Amino acid sequence: MAHWYKFALYYLWIAPHALLVVVPVLMFVRRLHKSFPVFFVYTLYETLGFLLRFAAYTAGHGPGAGLYRYVFIVAAAGSTALRFGIIQEIFNNVFRDYPRLERLATTSMRWLTGLLVLAAILTTFYSSGTLPDNLLVGVRLLERSVTIIQAGLLLFLFLFSRMFGLSWRSYTFGIALGFAIFASTEIASWTLGLTALTEHSRYLLDLLPTGSYHVSVLVWLGYLLGGGEKPGGGPTYTIPEIDQWSGELGRPR
Amino acid sequence: MTTTLLFVLVAFVLLLSFAYLATRRTKDLPDVDQALTAIRALDIEAFRNLVDPEEEAFLRARLPVPEFKKIKRERARAAFAYVRALSSVSLQFARFGDAARRSPDPVIAASGKQIADSAIYLRLRTLDAGAQLMLSALFPSLDPHRLRALLQQYDQATYLLLKHNVLTRAHSRAA
Repeated sequence: MAHWYKFALYYLWIAPHALLVVVPVLMFVRRLHKSFPVFFVYTLYETLGFLLRFAAYTAGHGPGAGLYRYVFIVAAAGSTALRFGIIQEIFNNVFRDYPRLERLATTSMRWLTGLLVLAAILTTFYSSGTLPDNLLVGVRLLERSVTIIQAGLLLFLFLFSRMFGLSWRSYTFGIALGFAIFASTEIASWTLGLTALTEHSRYLLDLLPTGSYHVSVLVWLGYLLGGGEKPGGGPTYTIPEIDQWSGELGRPR
Repeated sequence: MTTTLLFVLVAFVLLLSFAYLATRRTKDLPDVDQALTAIRALDIEAFRNLVDPEEEAFLRARLPVPEFKKIKRERARAAFAYVRALSSVSLQFARFGDAARRSPDPVIAASGKQIADSAIYLRLRTLDAGAQLMLSALFPSLDPHRLRALLQQYDQATYLLLKHNVLTRAHSRAA
């Protein structure tokens, strides 16, 4: 293992989690843990999961060892469940003030989820993977399917709200964008992980999910540090010529 | 290998889409000039005539069937262009209302919420009307489409915008 690679691997594994510790602290200080309780729990859970994985890794159980694998799988399962909760949280934040639109969005999202689940099941059947480790293949296929569903739901949320001219609060947008970046690269990462790669390529591929997670954490931090709406800073627009139409617009029909 | 390539491509397209949406976010602010131009360009009376069921019944009674079908298709296509313009106006209204909703002044904020609500409903109505008009163009012998609700929604949205403008000016004067 080249020196630079070892450095990059450890850096990309440790740095995002070290930075992630700051996220719940900032959320607590800004009272955002009340608006985004699931995301708040997720950041704490991810930090704890990292500590457990790191402990299993450094205690002599490398990535291929039994304990590390089980810790990894259990942590990934909890993390996946929490991510669904966060998507629901983003949905609630975006449509909270528009109950009429919320009903339509809920129905559309249910249909979309059904379609994405179907697509995920079909693609799982058509891609069995070429790794000798069946458990790892199963986990990767499952993770990829779930990530496809999550990325699809996030894209739907972005497009649907844009279609109706709804602007997102900065924090909500930042959280969603961070997850969207991570989910997109995860799809590629899980897929490539199922193929028979050379050892060199596999080493490089290991940097992709941790690298994209690093970007996501930076996005969350960026929006938390500088993205909030200033209290009382809302715009007040006037349309200068609208009074000229008052006769036309005010006419009852 | 094809499946692998497909998934990697999907991942790449998703990443690009999210990056595009993130960069568009700051550019999607309410464009008052664009809304004004769109509203000015709308001849709402002409649109009312185009979708008037009575006028359609009159044409149906007077014209031979092939002629009526041809004219109905043309009318549906013209009305569809109006609906698209209305849809664009509703989006501008929604953005305007959504921005005003965050005003520190509770009266202005409440008015902004009303505008955004009304504009969203108008947009829903335009989507519904667009589908109806496309059906009309495809099957001219179907019953006339009733778009009264869409027109009423447009009137309500523009009325709320007018009211909002009066409110904003009164508040600026008071300040």
